[in-house]
Amino acid sequence: MKVSTARFRQTALAELANARTQKFLQILPLRLSARRQEAYGSFSDPEAAHRLGQAIRGEALARLPELLEQFERNAQANGAKVFWAADSRAANGYIADLARAKGVRYVTKGKSMITEELGLNEHLAGCGISAWETDLGEFIAQLLEKPPFHIVGPAINIPVEQIRDIFLAKGILDQPTTDPVALGKAARRFLRDKFRDLQMGITGVNIAVAETGTVVNVENEGNIRFNKSAPRTLVCVMSLEKVVPTLADALHLLRVLCRSATGQAAGAYISLDSGPRKNGENDGPEEMHIVILDNGRSAIYANRHTREALRCIRCGACLNACPVYGKVGGYPYGWAYSGPMGQVLTPALRGLADAGDLIRACTLCHRCKSICPAGIDHPGLLLHYRYKDVQADPLLAGRGADPKERLAHRLFALAGSRYAYWRLFSRTLRLAGRFFTRGEMLHGLGPLGRGWFQSRDLPALPKKSFHERWPEIAAKHDHRL
Amino acid sequence: METNAREAILDRLKSAHPASVPPRPSLPPARELALDAGECVARFQEQLAAQGGVAFQMADEAALLARLEEILRQEAVTRAMAAEDAVLAPLDLSPWGNRVGVEIVSPAAFNDRDGYTRAVFDQVQAGITGADYAVAESGTLVLVHDARQPRLISLAPLVHIAVVPLARVVPTYEAAIASLFDGGRRPSQVTLITGPSMTADIQATPFRGMHGPQKLYVLLLG
Repeated sequence: MKVSTARFRQTALAELANARTQKFLQILPLRLSARRQEAYGSFSDPEAAHRLGQAIRGEALARLPELLEQFERNAQANGAKVFWAADSRAANGYIADLARAKGVRYVTKGKSMITEELGLNEHLAGCGISAWETDLGEFIAQLLEKPPFHIVGPAINIPVEQIRDIFLAKGILDQPTTDPVALGKAARRFLRDKFRDLQMGITGVNIAVAETGTVVNVENEGNIRFNKSAPRTLVCVMSLEKVVPTLADALHLLRVLCRSATGQAAGAYISLDSGPRKNGENDGPEEMHIVILDNGRSAIYANRHTREALRCIRCGACLNACPVYGKVGGYPYGWAYSGPMGQVLTPALRGLADAGDLIRACTLCHRCKSICPAGIDHPGLLLHYRYKDVQADPLLAGRGADPKERLAHRLFALAGSRYAYWRLFSRTLRLAGRFFTRGEMLHGLGPLGRGWFQSRDLPALPKKSFHERWPEIAAKHDHRL
Repeated sequence: METNAREAILDRLKSAHPASVPPRPSLPPARELALDAGECVARFQEQLAAQGGVAFQMADEAALLARLEEILRQEAVTRAMAAEDAVLAPLDLSPWGNRVGVEIVSPAAFNDRDGYTRAVFDQVQAGITGADYAVAESGTLVLVHDARQPRLISLAPLVHIAVVPLARVVPTYEAAIASLFDGGRRPSQVTLITGPSMTADIQATPFRGMHGPQKLYVLLLG
């Protein structure tokens, strides 16, 4: 997938003008939020259940190194092979080598955000191995080379005509149709052939359980179960923060994850795998490989602010709550993770160099924070990123402040340093403001603050400052200076 | 190189500023724990129905087999694959199938994996399995996959029919899962099944049977 976070503004403007995107955004987030709300009602105490999930993620991060070692020990005792990958190059290399060693021509993938993060499909294609996405939405997004529109429905906004055309072009569909169910059936037939002859399947991991060495996946379609059951070789790729202490913790997290993602009490299929198949079993992998991916996470773990981004369980509830996502949709975020989730994860994993607009496309309304089942303080993190950006932080590759902005702040500080300066500054500003005031509102200041005024107005500046009005006010109310 | 990456990652994590383990709020017991056996079954059926599955409560084996025959006929099934797990084995479905005109194939009949895979993908219209538990809280079946319960029978055919003894209906996941992992047991795979395979990825239009079964029938026995 091409990373296009640097084009946030352009893509957002295009999406704002896209009637189709707007139509979906008026329905989808609201519907998912309402379902989530309703599903939480089945907990004995929804608020306590919410906070318990957050505490489990908090504990998982606090005990991360210890839990990873415990998970590794138990997974190996179950017969799985564990590979630690420092970065995407190492992970992709390991998976490609394995595929070559097994002589496979193609692999299939369960829906997983982490393999999008790795750019695994592109890497395997470069090695002459095709990689097929098997979640219907991801499959369509892959064919169209689009990033996910929504984590729950990656291609939900794509017109059926466009799906028909790409399916016809790729030989997935024989007879033209725009019936969503017929298109789904065509994808079923096509991917079923892939599953039947599959030699190697690749999945992500929703939860890894330290006490048993178990990997847990949640889905509705069954493609992940096929990936885990049909082939002789299985690779599960997990980012290192996925581990939780116990099976009981995993069960509670599953409850909040399913409710937060789709409003279901449980996804149609939850699979818990503890090692490869045992002797005498008809199906299941002969080899199970677990790739534990760092890719910059251990570095952001060192910082107590950025560490918080690692709480995320990828439910997508924050997308549905976000007023910005609700206007622009998933494309402007430019990578595997969109919405507030993307705004906290992408800068942590890829740095701030291309994330200038990404970390600023937030009104700090705190809705994401209030519904996050993992307990992430998104607005707090975004303020932290903005600070690191203007400070040109080396770890996060902050860009430093814009020279014009820095100059403006210097002048502002200078103006505030002496009363005489301040009076001159504020009088000049109020005088200049008159030329740009229409009615009650100030719409700009000529060449000054163009970017700021692009999407904002101010109430018209008053003729006199508060300080200048004070003698009148004091006289009227019989105050003394 | 593998070892180096491992050590480097763990070293970085361990040298990070330690955080304290947050306290856990106490969660009142799940509502389902207050239900009696009959209410648990009703809750299971209602939750499963919400996800598109159908459950029937059958008084005895004869009634169960009659219902099974009816479902197989209704779904136009001529060949089905049946697991040989502890719930299904006593029903001895193969001779019964001969009598009612449905060929019941056993996974044990294949001595190579490819033959079994072709059969379960292409040559049967239904998969019949037992289930280890049925969980009331979400209408979920729990299947433990082992030599007698292959994974693909409940996944590859278009229809999945599961038989669960009534005594195996439990209020929440915890008791079921804990017993399956008890005493260091590590089943290679456990699946929790809640309804048929589904998607709404094209235009938010619901579509059942995306990859796995289009229909899920649960027969509660007892």
